[in-house]
Amino acid sequence: MHIAEGYLPPLHAAAWGVAAAPFVIHGARAVVRQVREEPDTKLLLGAAGAFSFVLSALKIPSVTGSCSHPTGTGLGAVLFRPPVMALLGTIVLFFQAVLLAHGGLTTLGANVFSMAIIGPWVAYGVYRLTRRLGGGLGLGVFLAAALGDLATYCVTSVQLALAFPDAASGIGGAIVKFGSIFAITQIPLAISEGLLTLLVVRLLVRISPDELRRLRILPAATPAASKEVDA
Amino acid sequence: MLPLDAAAYTNRWRTRHPGEKALLSLGLLVLAVALPTWPGAAIVGVAALVLVLGPAGLAPRALWRAVRVPLGFVVTGMLPLLVAIGGQPWIAWDPTGWPRALELGGRAVAALLCLLLFAATTPLADLLPRLEKLGVPPAVTEIASLMYRMLFLLLESIRVIRDAQAGRLGFRTWPTTFRSLTGQGAAVFVRAFDRARRLEHGLASRGYNGALHVLVPARPISPPFLIATTALLAAIVASTLLLAP
Repeated sequence: MHIAEGYLPPLHAAAWGVAAAPFVIHGARAVVRQVREEPDTKLLLGAAGAFSFVLSALKIPSVTGSCSHPTGTGLGAVLFRPPVMALLGTIVLFFQAVLLAHGGLTTLGANVFSMAIIGPWVAYGVYRLTRRLGGGLGLGVFLAAALGDLATYCVTSVQLALAFPDAASGIGGAIVKFGSIFAITQIPLAISEGLLTLLVVRLLVRISPDELRRLRILPAATPAASKEVDA
Repeated sequence: MLPLDAAAYTNRWRTRHPGEKALLSLGLLVLAVALPTWPGAAIVGVAALVLVLGPAGLAPRALWRAVRVPLGFVVTGMLPLLVAIGGQPWIAWDPTGWPRALELGGRAVAALLCLLLFAATTPLADLLPRLEKLGVPPAVTEIASLMYRMLFLLLESIRVIRDAQAGRLGFRTWPTTFRSLTGQGAAVFVRAFDRARRLEHGLASRGYNGALHVLVPARPISPPFLIATTALLAAIVASTLLLAP
């Protein structure tokens, strides 16, 4: 959920910008180092960023009969790792603001914090935890996408509640208020996104295993592993 | 093509230096958010609207197409402020909510118009290479430029694939919809990386050493524009302070 342009008071907008900056700078440093070592990764990162932008243009059905778009944070975090997603997500959010008027420049910091930092880190953490506990790739990406999505919406609710505390019950009441509005639409949407991400990754394992190996989602090619994937 | 991107290439300020347009629209944006909403944001909103429709020459219909969806978000975002919870009864209309909701709506609409003034006049291809002068690492601006150039091809791919799937009743039921969307997501992934690999081969055969050189057309900065911008911003601040209750 993008917070619209001008929605946050100036102090909040600036504070979220300051909170997001270290993560984005860390991501940018990681990318610059990676590009210096292997210049070719620049093109792959461009492809990854364009993929993340276009993923959010898919229209997924929601139970209320309406459509919404996936955030793509879960899939992005699993494929490209959270530090890289902090940078790519920032560029995607900037593009969405200036190409679609979706989100905004004053609210960029807050949106980056929820969608390009917390969402990807939660998604990646859930994915690694699921894999370590013996869960398969499918379960890992499903939980990563669904919980990454929910984490994003929880953070957005908190951001809005801090900016607009409830008149009667303060910040706690406002978190319940914004959270329950999101919950109606976002819990089904998070499950839809998890399902879609699972299906996309399963299809990619079949049609593009080399790329997934390059991104270290699948183990490096050994004759046995490649036979398993091909089968 | 995205409507705002098309406007950015066809408006009357197309050939102005991006820095001039950034100073004007981002200056107005800061004022819209920082000044008291009444009358500050209202004055800023009117100024941005006049500038985008007048000197920048954006068609009113194009402006409406660009603002209607974000306006919907602004109106939806105002609703929670009209309700108070946790009292007696647990959920009730908050009579003090109206001024806060209108203040929020006014500020958000003014800020949206300032954002559009920038977005509808400044092509990203002009802006991105110049960000290096502001200290953004070249690797980052080059990745952003690559994304910008690739995303239109991918959006077009998605559109064509969606049309083809719709023609084959691909969105008739939930299972078919998910199947179709899976195809779209995977196709975009494969096409994006295939394009990156082809670019890689093409550049390697032309002696790629890590730097992507692009020609950035020189655009002179106009001192009268900068003076007029500064005067406008100062006038808005002064009139807000005079009119503020």
